[in-house]
Amino acid sequence: MSASTYASVLGLTAAVVLLCAVVTLWRRTLRAIIRVLAVQGLALACVAMVVGLRRHDTGLIVVAVLVLAAKAIVVPMLITRVVRHDPASRETQPLVNVPASLVAAGALTILAFAVTRSVTALVPTPAGRLIPLGLAAMLVGFFALVTRRKAVSQIVGILLVDNGVALVAFLATAGVPLIVELGASLDVLLAVVVLQVLAARLRSLLGSFDLDRLTELHD
Amino acid sequence: MLIVILGIPLAGALFSGLVPWRRGIGWLGTASASGVFVSGVVLAVGIVEGRPVTGLGGILRADALSAFMVIVIGVIAVLATWQGVRYLEAEIAAGRCTPRHASLYCVLVQGFLATMLLAVLAANLGVLWVAVEATTVVTTFLVGHRRTRSSLEASWKYIVICSVGIAMAFLGTVLVYLAALHVVGHGPHPLDWTSLVTQSHRLDPGVMRLAFALLVLGYGTKVGLVPMHSWLPDAHSQAPAPVSALMSGVLLTVAFYAILRFKVIADGALGAAFPRSLLVIVSLLSLAVAASLLLTQRDYKRMLAYHSVEHMGLIALGAAAGSPLAIGAVLLHVLGHGLAKGVLFLASGEILLTEGTSEIEHVPALLSRRPVLGGIFAFGLVALLGFPPFSLFVSELNMLRAEFEVGLGWAAAVSLVCMAVIFGAVMSHGRHMLLGPKGTATPAMTPAVVAVPLIGGLVGCAFIGISAWPLQSLLHAAARIVAP
Amino acid sequence: MNAGSHTVVAVIASCSQVVAVAVGGLVLIGLMRKVRAHLEGRVGAPILQPMFDVRKLFRKERLRPDQATWIFPLAPVVLVATVAVAAAITPLVTTGPALSTGSDFFALVYLLLVGSTLLALAGMDAGTAFGGMGSSRAVTIGALAEPALLVTILALSATAHSSNLPAIVRATLADPGSVATPQRLFALGALLVVIVAESGRLPVDNPATHLELTMVHEAMILEYAGPDLAFVTVGEAMRLTLLLGVFVNLVAPWGIATTTNVAAVAVGLVTLVAKVAVVGLALAVFEVFTAKLRLFRLPELLAGAFVLALLGVVSGLVVK
Repeated sequence: MSASTYASVLGLTAAVVLLCAVVTLWRRTLRAIIRVLAVQGLALACVAMVVGLRRHDTGLIVVAVLVLAAKAIVVPMLITRVVRHDPASRETQPLVNVPASLVAAGALTILAFAVTRSVTALVPTPAGRLIPLGLAAMLVGFFALVTRRKAVSQIVGILLVDNGVALVAFLATAGVPLIVELGASLDVLLAVVVLQVLAARLRSLLGSFDLDRLTELHD
Repeated sequence: MLIVILGIPLAGALFSGLVPWRRGIGWLGTASASGVFVSGVVLAVGIVEGRPVTGLGGILRADALSAFMVIVIGVIAVLATWQGVRYLEAEIAAGRCTPRHASLYCVLVQGFLATMLLAVLAANLGVLWVAVEATTVVTTFLVGHRRTRSSLEASWKYIVICSVGIAMAFLGTVLVYLAALHVVGHGPHPLDWTSLVTQSHRLDPGVMRLAFALLVLGYGTKVGLVPMHSWLPDAHSQAPAPVSALMSGVLLTVAFYAILRFKVIADGALGAAFPRSLLVIVSLLSLAVAASLLLTQRDYKRMLAYHSVEHMGLIALGAAAGSPLAIGAVLLHVLGHGLAKGVLFLASGEILLTEGTSEIEHVPALLSRRPVLGGIFAFGLVALLGFPPFSLFVSELNMLRAEFEVGLGWAAAVSLVCMAVIFGAVMSHGRHMLLGPKGTATPAMTPAVVAVPLIGGLVGCAFIGISAWPLQSLLHAAARIVAP
Repeated sequence: MNAGSHTVVAVIASCSQVVAVAVGGLVLIGLMRKVRAHLEGRVGAPILQPMFDVRKLFRKERLRPDQATWIFPLAPVVLVATVAVAAAITPLVTTGPALSTGSDFFALVYLLLVGSTLLALAGMDAGTAFGGMGSSRAVTIGALAEPALLVTILALSATAHSSNLPAIVRATLADPGSVATPQRLFALGALLVVIVAESGRLPVDNPATHLELTMVHEAMILEYAGPDLAFVTVGEAMRLTLLLGVFVNLVAPWGIATTTNVAAVAVGLVTLVAKVAVVGLALAVFEVFTAKLRLFRLPELLAGAFVLALLGVVSGLVVK
């Protein structure tokens, strides 16, 4: 593919990843948030695929397929199963209201661009210039994690942070060495399974996912 | 050799998983831990006399620092698994734990040891990251082993916060990889620690600054440094006592080992100033938070957990100083703190078992009611507070000396103030627990199988404090690796 | 071709733009209503019904509230006038309309704002409770949409290094790939949300509602009758068509006349009609499936548009 097509497709998919992270702050139903997460996983796989095709790197293409399977299909399915017993659950009241969190997301994006100036200077390729988008997605995910109360929303926050970091990994270095990437994906999957198990135990103990009800441990 | 060290706990895990629960299965864990300790000693002897050992095609590598960490892991694991037998028996007898859960516990503890060993023996920074992430996943189940409401809450908080920290550490690793690619190109092992250290002066400073900050925050989450420390009191107080001992004594320092490895690279790329200031800020924050929160603790396990935060802050401050004396003191502190904290957590587990409550006010007069146990607890507290002859006295003194030499005198003064506050808080809590009117109950005896390892741990701590003779050359060699 | 014929063609083009927007606006509204009706399973009024309505209104008696001042009759006229001027100078049919040097994006926005402000004042001028309520709601939405709109214009101006609308369109024509950049797409997404907010379509405001308490725009013009109402209807239709035309020419400017001859202008007119019809239809279909947002959820929507525009600006910094 030509250089400009590559640059625009890459830019588009990376921007979709960041956009999905921001939309997660906006939507209230957990079902919609999980759908957005699946879209983000798909976009992430596309980024990896595009970069792999450009560099003729079969390892990266394999990783792209794995990412598609894991982040766009398996993980949303696991979380949906957790949410199914809590139908149409809504975020009762996030700690920061929606317009303010959207504006905060904008501020975090600007922060990400400011902080990664040295990194983009080091990698002047079209892919390297999009690294700040990955860091911004990670920061937005972190923000979502901190301002949400429901247990499933916190899982979503962790996944957003992971997706942002994965985006940076794909863009910056065309993927970390295959072993580490496999280990990373496996660990993420394992962590989600653990979270699901814990969430199931929490639900059976409390009957809901409201972490507000867990306030025994504090100072 | 290295494969042997890793293989022992893995084999132990496999065996515990396959064989149905029996009374003696718990001792398997102790056996494997002792095996690890012995092979660690053999490895250390070999390394001090010769060169670093590699294994598994270059993925594993052991130098003096790794060997020292293997010894630390081994010795504390022996103590913890020894006590674990008693813990499991008591839980099964009380009906709180089924045999299936008990064998799951054994498998998980062995797995925990294996992943920690992988982390300290990794030559490749990526494998180090994978191992640390694996420890998080394994310990989550261990923390929630008791399946009570508060332990589930604790394990939830643990995995949520630590997953975020691990993700940040991954990003830091990726940035280091990026900087290395730029310098080295797509070599066979671009994340290999030794080659990174030799190339460190050519790595891009801007990228390395961002990477080191992310790594300190990310791995610092697992160390328990402020601001990502909030999981620590909950997880360490709700986990079963042997697990708390392992986590507080070893896991925190394994994560700090990762930071130390990266510090060597960062020092080469950025000079000592930036890493030093970052570590100083984080350590002083940790000390301040620990000091302020220790004053109002009502639960003795949480008190011990916050005390771990303080000691991690001290270790970070020592690492910030960065001279060979400081690093040597830091490593000695790691061993001493591991031993003393491990003994204390195990003793508190025994107290919880016999008294049934973990509130300080409800376990008064331990010295009169349970002399041996109370005595162990008292000596443990004394060791942790840095009294001679225990090794923490020596290590803290040397750290302070090194900090003054390097020019961090003001930070050392602040840390002394915090330590004084903590001293007062712990003494007052300890007084509530240990002293008091005797009451009419006769003093109960603690079974020998419980007391022996604890007393042994304390004696070991004192022994190292008096003369670091067996570890002298190892400590020197390890310090030289971090602060050349 | 000399400068004189350039100007003549430009004037012809501008006039054709105004006529197209005026006539086409009413037809567009009728078309959108017809499509909605069909999707809802009704036959619906004929497509030219809005024109019949306007003609009927012009023949009716001129009624005004007793306590209304001079603002009340002035507002509809000013609305139509400003939109007509805006339609004359924006690059809808050609990239060289009359007075194209004054055709600035910011100027366009504030021209339209003059009309809306006067209409809001007229709503209060009528002296009824519903008028005041509608005016305050409309002004709130306008105030929330303003930051988003300004940042969107910033993002769209960045590629052409100027906020002159013909320059932006020409830059897009010269580099078609620039439409697919994240910067452009975010900015255009935000622009779409702001257009929906400013012209009072679903999900911000329901133009077909009869319940006064749910009205935003309709409540402002509740007291208008006769020719005044005709002017307001025409002005609103023209505003929607103008905004959609600008949007369409920023997304897909192909077909617009770049040379100054009448044939190109004719081609431009035809393509404009086609493109605006397509976008209008898409909007109508979207409206069938959307419900009106509650009033206090509007800040979320418009904050989202603001962040989208901000992302557009920021990702524009990526491509140096």
